[in-house]
Amino acid sequence: MDFLTTYIVLAEIYVLLGLSTNLLVGIVGIFSVSQAAVFGVGAYLTAFLLMHTALPFPVAVLLAAALCVGLNILVTLPSLRVSGDYFVVTSFGIQLLATAVFTNWTGGTGGANGLPGVPAPMILGHEFLEPTEFIALTTIGMGLGCLCFWLMMRAPFGALLRAIREDELAVAALGKSVLGAKVSAAALAGAFAGSAGGLYATFLSFVDPSSFDLDASIFLLTMVVVGGARTLAGSVLGPFVLLALPQILALIDIPTSIAAAARQLIYGLLLIVFMLFRPQGLLGEKL
Amino acid sequence: MLWLNLLLNGLVWGCALGMVAVSFSLIFATTRFFHVAHAAVYGLGGYVAWSALKHGLPEWAALLVGIVACGAVGALIQKLLYERLDRSGATHLVILIASLGLSAVIQNSLAAVYTSNVLQYGLPWGNRTTVIGGALLTNTQMLTVGFGILSYLGAMWFAHRTVLGKRMRAVASNPFLAEITRLQPRQVHIAVMAIGSALVCIPGVLVPLDLGLQPFGGVPILLTATIAVIAGGVGSISGAFVLALVIAVLQNLSLLVMPGEWSIGITFGIFVIFMLFRPRGLFTG
Amino acid sequence: MLRISTIALALGLALPASAQTIRLGAVLPLTGPAAVIGMQEQRGIQFAVDEVNAKGGVAGHKIEVLFEDNQAKPDQSVLLFNKLVDLQKVPAVFTGYSGPSLAMAPLAGRKKTLLVNGGAQADALDKASPYLINTIPVLAGELDVLATYLVADAGKKTAAILFENNAAGIAGRDDFLGSFEKAGGKVLAQEPVPFGDTNYRPALLKLAATSPDVVFVVITTGTPQLADQVRQIDAKFTVVGSTFFSDPELIANPNAEGFTHTQVLINAPEGMAAAFKTKYGTEFDFFPKQYYNAATVVMICVEKLLKDGKPVTGENLLAALKEIKTFKGLTTTVFNTNTAATQINMNRINGKQDNLLKVIPPK
Repeated sequence: MDFLTTYIVLAEIYVLLGLSTNLLVGIVGIFSVSQAAVFGVGAYLTAFLLMHTALPFPVAVLLAAALCVGLNILVTLPSLRVSGDYFVVTSFGIQLLATAVFTNWTGGTGGANGLPGVPAPMILGHEFLEPTEFIALTTIGMGLGCLCFWLMMRAPFGALLRAIREDELAVAALGKSVLGAKVSAAALAGAFAGSAGGLYATFLSFVDPSSFDLDASIFLLTMVVVGGARTLAGSVLGPFVLLALPQILALIDIPTSIAAAARQLIYGLLLIVFMLFRPQGLLGEKL
Repeated sequence: MLWLNLLLNGLVWGCALGMVAVSFSLIFATTRFFHVAHAAVYGLGGYVAWSALKHGLPEWAALLVGIVACGAVGALIQKLLYERLDRSGATHLVILIASLGLSAVIQNSLAAVYTSNVLQYGLPWGNRTTVIGGALLTNTQMLTVGFGILSYLGAMWFAHRTVLGKRMRAVASNPFLAEITRLQPRQVHIAVMAIGSALVCIPGVLVPLDLGLQPFGGVPILLTATIAVIAGGVGSISGAFVLALVIAVLQNLSLLVMPGEWSIGITFGIFVIFMLFRPRGLFTG
Repeated sequence: MLRISTIALALGLALPASAQTIRLGAVLPLTGPAAVIGMQEQRGIQFAVDEVNAKGGVAGHKIEVLFEDNQAKPDQSVLLFNKLVDLQKVPAVFTGYSGPSLAMAPLAGRKKTLLVNGGAQADALDKASPYLINTIPVLAGELDVLATYLVADAGKKTAAILFENNAAGIAGRDDFLGSFEKAGGKVLAQEPVPFGDTNYRPALLKLAATSPDVVFVVITTGTPQLADQVRQIDAKFTVVGSTFFSDPELIANPNAEGFTHTQVLINAPEGMAAAFKTKYGTEFDFFPKQYYNAATVVMICVEKLLKDGKPVTGENLLAALKEIKTFKGLTTTVFNTNTAATQINMNRINGKQDNLLKVIPPK
C-alpha cells in the first residue's frame, strides 16, 4: 500500500512544518508567510550536503536544521520593528526573494531544473528507500517534534510566550526579555522547518523550487488555521486533513474539462466556510 | 537607445501598477483588511469587459460594464464576507485566509468558464505605435499612461475634496473615533471597497489588452502593488502611485546591468531592507 | 455524483472481472499557467481513446484514462504517479513537461511502469529511464537542424536567445547555444522570462540592443503576444523557434510574418481535425495531435499484448513497444532508442500561412 504510506509520510513531514508555523504564527503571533522558504533552504542544503560531501544523513539534517535556525531568526527580525499588518508584506517579499534565489542560483540550487538524484537516508548502514521504510524515520521525527512542542508549552517558556501574545507591554514591564523569547521561538520554529526540509528532500529524491513557493507558504498557513491554531492536536490534524482533501475531492464526479479548476474552487470555498463558521479550526483555540 | 526604451517601458508599466496600487491603497488604508482577492477582482474586470466586447458592445461601453460589475462585486465582498467576519471578531489572519479562499474561488471560476488559454481582445488599434523621441509606444501603452494619471488625480480629488473621501480618511486615521462620532465606518468600508474595486477594473482591462488575458494574471501584479502601497506609506495615495512608478522603472532599468531573472529578487530585497530602516514608509497619511 | 468504482478503487477494493476496461494513467497540468498546454494534451488522449472505444475498444476491451492534475509541479507529479500505480494499478502513465517527467522517470523504472511523454523535449529525457519513452524527438535533434539551416542556408551569423525560465526553456537555451556555435555562428546575448509572464518587451529590448541577425525563442505559451511585441519594437532581427511556433493563433497573426521554425512533422486527416473541433471547440493543434499519436502508440502495444494473451503490465508494454518499433499513428514513429525519430521540417510563416521551406529526413 505504497500510496497510503506515502500519504502518511508526507503528512508527518508536514506536521513538523505545522508545528513550526503554529509556533511562529499561532503562539508568538508573528504573521509569517515565508515559512516555505525556510523549509526550502533545509531541503536544498540537506540535498547539497548529501550529494557533494561524505557527511552521513543525520549530520546533514542537523546542519541544515542549524542553518535554518539562524535563517529563521534573521527572517523574523523585521517583525520586531514592523507591526503585524506591515510585516505580512515584508514576509511576502522574503518568500518571493527566496523563490527567486531557488529558481535562479543555478550553481547552488540547480536553478529551475532543481536537484535530482538526492540519495536515500543511510543510518548505521541501513538504507531507507521505500516508503514503508521511510515511514519509520518520519514517525520518529514527528514524535520528537511533538514531544518538544508539548514539553515547551508546559514549561515556563510556554507560559511566557502565551503571555507575550496577550500583552507584550505587561510582560516587558515585568522585566522579562520579550526579544529573547521571540527569538528563541523563531529559532525552534526554524529547527522544525529545517529538519522537515531534510526529510522531504530525501523522500522525494528530487528538490525543485516549485515546492517552496508562495503557494506552499499559504498552504502551511491554511494547514494551521484549519487544523487548529496554537494547539499540538491542531498541528497534527491540519496536515493529515489538508493532504487528504484533494483525494477526497477527486471522488466527486466532475466533467474532465473543468475538474481540476472545480476542485481548487471547492478548496477555496472550504477556506471561506471555515473562516466564517469555525475560525478556531478543528481542534484549536481561536486565532 | 536602450535605456530610454526601458525607462519609458517602466513608466508605462508603473502607471498600470500605480492604478492597482492606488485602488488597493484606498481599501487597505480604510479597512486594514488584507484584501488579496483584489487580484481576483482585477481578473474579473478583464473578463467581464471581454465578454461584453464579444457581445457586440463598443469598447467604451464594455469597459464601463466591467467597472460597474467590479464595483458591485467589491461592495458585495465587503458586505457579505468581510463585514460578517469583522463583526464576529475575526483577527486579520482569519480575514486574510478567507480572502485567499475567495480569490481561489473567483479565479478558478474564471478558468473553468473561459479556459486557461491566453485570450485576446482583438482590437488592432491597440497595437499601432507612435514614435516619441526615439522610442516607440503603442496606443495601449499611451492609454495606460493616460488612465493612470487620471486615476491618480481622480483618487486624490476624491480623497481630499469630497465628503465621502474625507469621511474615508477620517475612518482610516482613527477607526475607533470614527465609530463613536457617528461617521458610520461600516458604510464607508462598503463605499471604499466599491470604489477601489471599480478602479482596479481599468488596469484589469488595459494590461490584458496589451499582454493577453489570463485567469491568474492578477496575483503577481497585486503583490508588487502592495509593496508600493506599504513602502509608499499606508494612507498616502501619492506614496502608492510614486512608489509604483519607482519600482517599475527600477525593474526595467536594472536590466541594463543585470540578467532579467534577478530583477524581481532585487526589488523585493530592496523592499525588505527598506522595511528594516523605515517601516512607516516614505510618505505618511 | 459519486462514482462507485472510484470509491471502491480508492478504498483498495478489487473490482469483479466483468470490468474488462483497461485503465491507463495520465499526470498532466490541468490548472495553473501550464494548463493551457496540459488541457490540450488531455484532449488529444481522450479523443484517441473515445475513437477507439466507439469502435468496440482494443480487442474487445474498453480503454479508460485516469487524469490527475500536477500543476506542472514535480513533487505533485511524484505523489500522483504513486497514486495511479499503487492504487489504480495502471501499467502506463502519460506525462508532459520536462520537470515533472524527469521527476517521475526514476519511479517509472522502479515500479516498471511505462511512462509516455508526448510533448516535453529536454535532452535529459532521452536517457532518464529505460521505462520513459518519448514519442517526440528531443530538442537537440530539432535545434541542430535549425542551427545548420540558419548558418548554412540562410547566412545568419549572430543570434540572441529568449527563453522561458524552467527546465524546458533552459534545455532549449543550452541546446541552441551548442548547436549554433557548432554550426559556425555566434550567440551574442540571452534573456530569461518567467514562465507564464507575457511581458516580453524588456527582454526583447535588451536583446535587440545587441543587434543580432536572429533571436531564438523558446517559450511554450504566449507566442502571439510575443509576435505583437516584436513588431512594436520595430525589430530588425528574424525570430526563429521550434515546433512551438505551429500554433494556429500565431500563424494567423500578421505580426508573425517571417517567423522561421522547425516543425516535427505531424498531420491529421481533414475529417479528424473537423471532428475534434466539433467535439472540443478548439483546434486540433500540435499538442493534441502529439498526444493522440502517443495514445495510439500505447493502444497498439496493448492490442498486441491482448492478442498474444499476455497480461497488460508496464514491463510487457515496453517489450511490445521495442518489438513493434515502427508505429503508424498520426505520423510514422520509429523507436530505435527510447526517443522517436521523425521527419523534421523547416517552415516559415508568410501571409498567415505556415509554409514549408525544406524537409530534413530522420537520421
